[in-house]
Amino acid sequence: MAKHIVARDEPGLKVLLMGNEAIARGAIEGGVGVGASYPGTPASEIMETLVAVAKDIGFYAEWSVNEKVAFEVAAGAALFNVRAICSLKNAGLNWCMDMLATLVYGGVRGGMVIVVVDDTGARTSSNEQDQRYASSWVEVPCLEPSSQQEAKDMVRDAFDISEKTELPIIVRSVARISHSLGDITFGKIPPPSKKVVFDKHWKLPFRWNVYGPPSTHSKHVWLHTRLPVAKKLSEQSPYNVLELRKARMGIIASGVGAAYAAEALGWLGLEKKVSFLKIGVSYPLPESKVTRFLQNTNRVLVVEDGDPFVENQVRIIAKDVAPRVKIQGKARDEALFESCGELDADMVASAVAKFVGVKWKGSTAARKKLKEEALKLVVPRSSAFCPGCPHIGTYWALRMALQRVGGKFPIIHGDIGCYEMAGYGVFAKGLEPSYSTESVKYPMDSPYDMLDTLYIMGSGIGLAQGTYHAGYTDGKVVAVAGDSTFFHACLPGLVNAVYNKAKVTFLVMDNYWTAMTGHQPNPATGVTALGEPTKVGKIEDVCKAFGVEYVKVVDAYNPREVQNTLVEALQQPSISVVVSRGECAQVWQRAKRRQGVPIIPYEIDTAKCNGCRLCVQMGCPAITFEPETKKAGVDALLCTACGLCAAVCPFKAFRQPGQVVQSP
Amino acid sequence: MREFNLLIAGVGGQGSILSSHILGDAAIRDGYHVRVAETYGAAMRGGAVMGQIRIGTNVQEPLIPEDKADALVALEPLEGLRRGIRYLSPTGLAILNTRRLLPVDVNLGRAKYPAIDQIAEELRELCKEVSTIDGTSIAEKAGNARTLNVVMIGVLKGLGIFPVSEESLEQAIVARVPSGTQDVNLRAFKFGIEATKATGPG
Repeated sequence: MAKHIVARDEPGLKVLLMGNEAIARGAIEGGVGVGASYPGTPASEIMETLVAVAKDIGFYAEWSVNEKVAFEVAAGAALFNVRAICSLKNAGLNWCMDMLATLVYGGVRGGMVIVVVDDTGARTSSNEQDQRYASSWVEVPCLEPSSQQEAKDMVRDAFDISEKTELPIIVRSVARISHSLGDITFGKIPPPSKKVVFDKHWKLPFRWNVYGPPSTHSKHVWLHTRLPVAKKLSEQSPYNVLELRKARMGIIASGVGAAYAAEALGWLGLEKKVSFLKIGVSYPLPESKVTRFLQNTNRVLVVEDGDPFVENQVRIIAKDVAPRVKIQGKARDEALFESCGELDADMVASAVAKFVGVKWKGSTAARKKLKEEALKLVVPRSSAFCPGCPHIGTYWALRMALQRVGGKFPIIHGDIGCYEMAGYGVFAKGLEPSYSTESVKYPMDSPYDMLDTLYIMGSGIGLAQGTYHAGYTDGKVVAVAGDSTFFHACLPGLVNAVYNKAKVTFLVMDNYWTAMTGHQPNPATGVTALGEPTKVGKIEDVCKAFGVEYVKVVDAYNPREVQNTLVEALQQPSISVVVSRGECAQVWQRAKRRQGVPIIPYEIDTAKCNGCRLCVQMGCPAITFEPETKKAGVDALLCTACGLCAAVCPFKAFRQPGQVVQSP
Repeated sequence: MREFNLLIAGVGGQGSILSSHILGDAAIRDGYHVRVAETYGAAMRGGAVMGQIRIGTNVQEPLIPEDKADALVALEPLEGLRRGIRYLSPTGLAILNTRRLLPVDVNLGRAKYPAIDQIAEELRELCKEVSTIDGTSIAEKAGNARTLNVVMIGVLKGLGIFPVSEESLEQAIVARVPSGTQDVNLRAFKFGIEATKATGPG
């Protein structure tokens, strides 16, 4: 494996790094000994970077089977005096909450850093949850970087803060820090991690056993002794910077909000004109700094990405120390920001302008009109499967099978992974909100209109059982999941379905990789994060062991076989599982390229194409359709030569050059 | 120079993100502060992708404000229009690759792809200058259609408005493209620059 630049021990080196790579570098500079994670956009590249260099530098890193396990792997190392990192997306931290809320009762011995990357704007997440609240909920410090450099430095320093407070530390990034790049200056890489030690009664009796004497309650009492330590560290932190100016107004800005606010002041010509409190430790706040700031201002604007987390803490402090100061942000009346969505440069500049009472020059009215005209030309580009994706064939087969035996309104409960795109819709037109006392569904005429519900990892198989036990009779009930999701979150749900006799069909699309987040390995892959061969987790064997009687494995690139098997599965008297297997198209294409095997795109014989659009409805982006000639076509640059189009075309109009295709 | 704001628009799989990394990397080699922001959806391929590159002496925020992009490089024309409308500066330059990638919405018959001339015309109303170029053909001539992103970096450099040296761009290309493809990418970069000399902008 090529050495990633983050492994270079050249203090002072200036490089361009993605925020997530910077976070990985911070862990390395902090002397990390163990790293664990489950992939999730926008956090995946943290552990991707760490696993790429773990062997070179000499620490352990893994892709765990889910976030809860990853968290426990990291915590298990930290209890034994080893510095550990667990990196998660926003939703990922939810999986860890039970352990996090309990781990803090005994704390950690070696520094433990939890990096959570929030997705304000929910571009690649199922919600906009602000995970800074988790820090105040479980009473651990929260650091919030404003740049890639700070992301690196904060992660490095968080290990020290963790050891000083004896608590795990949350570093909260956002997509705009994690998935943006900035110039970074490297620090030192320390010598290998500390000695692995088990000290059963370190400082407290029964430190690592919340049920141990004298009581669980006593551990909570101990946790409350940590907050004053954390407050003192926040007060002294170089990441909280107070600049007081003469004008009796000021801005408190945390995380990426501070970067926007600083530049907004520049755009508006207000640099060094208003007081500024940059917050890098957003829990607990540096109370003395906040107090001094409030006592020197009459009006305050709070800028932060996410919920009004800092703002509400400032309001609480202000009530005691400066009750007349007017605070504006996202909460309460006279808010200057929308209460949800992602911050951007214009939002912050216009809020700052309004707050200060100057004008932020947006587009002129004439220009706005020109833009409106131009926007009329813009058509959507809905998310689509990759050309040649095995899921395209599987969904085509599922649609056909449901048309045959699915009943009037079959239900498909979705799940999280590439196959969730079957729930994104193609911005289907003409839909109105309904309130119907009968089941209603718009027709499925592409793979993108298929999923009826879509929530979180593993929710499909659980919801399907509720649908069945509630007595739904308007159609068959199906749940879908991918290989990684199957191992991550579907196992208890599947056991439950067998145990409680839910008659549903579970379609597992096994493409061997955690593909959507960038092809990380998982138990279905047969290789570890560090590239070592390991046992292949066979989904069909797991299902059989749990007691599923109907388990079939089919080839995702043989849509007729998949269809016929699904027809059979849908008519079983108890739960049925179909594993549709086909390697991720991007992975097999890369392998072909490496091996020098040419990919010869398919062509269409326009004489045979009768314009039925069946191939177009299959949803492969490489298949085009000319409305004038009413003929399908193949984009040769996109085609992967997977052959799915040829497999579904009733007129045998698709062929590879040189291939003889018999007339039907 | 206070700063230079550049927008890259394209479709997932075209290398928009890699090209913004190359541009940012090159700017660091010339001693600038850099921010590169990426916007893309959950899809691995085929979605609308935007890269924003900000270089200067004191850039901090990752996103370009409305009407403040000095240049737009569109690897795909519809994506150029989608992003250019909001961000292009009235004094900015737009460079459009003319090769279309049809959205699934168009293939399914639920939307109509606008004419390339119309796209260029609308953008011309909003900025100073629009250059159209068949970058995909140039990439094919260089030896691989997948080098389109680097061809367009060459075109940007050739048009003379990007304040980063040719040497730094070459170094960044070599450092960032997949190993084994350095030569074809350097050729693509040269062909991109030459294309602007042959035809001139516009």
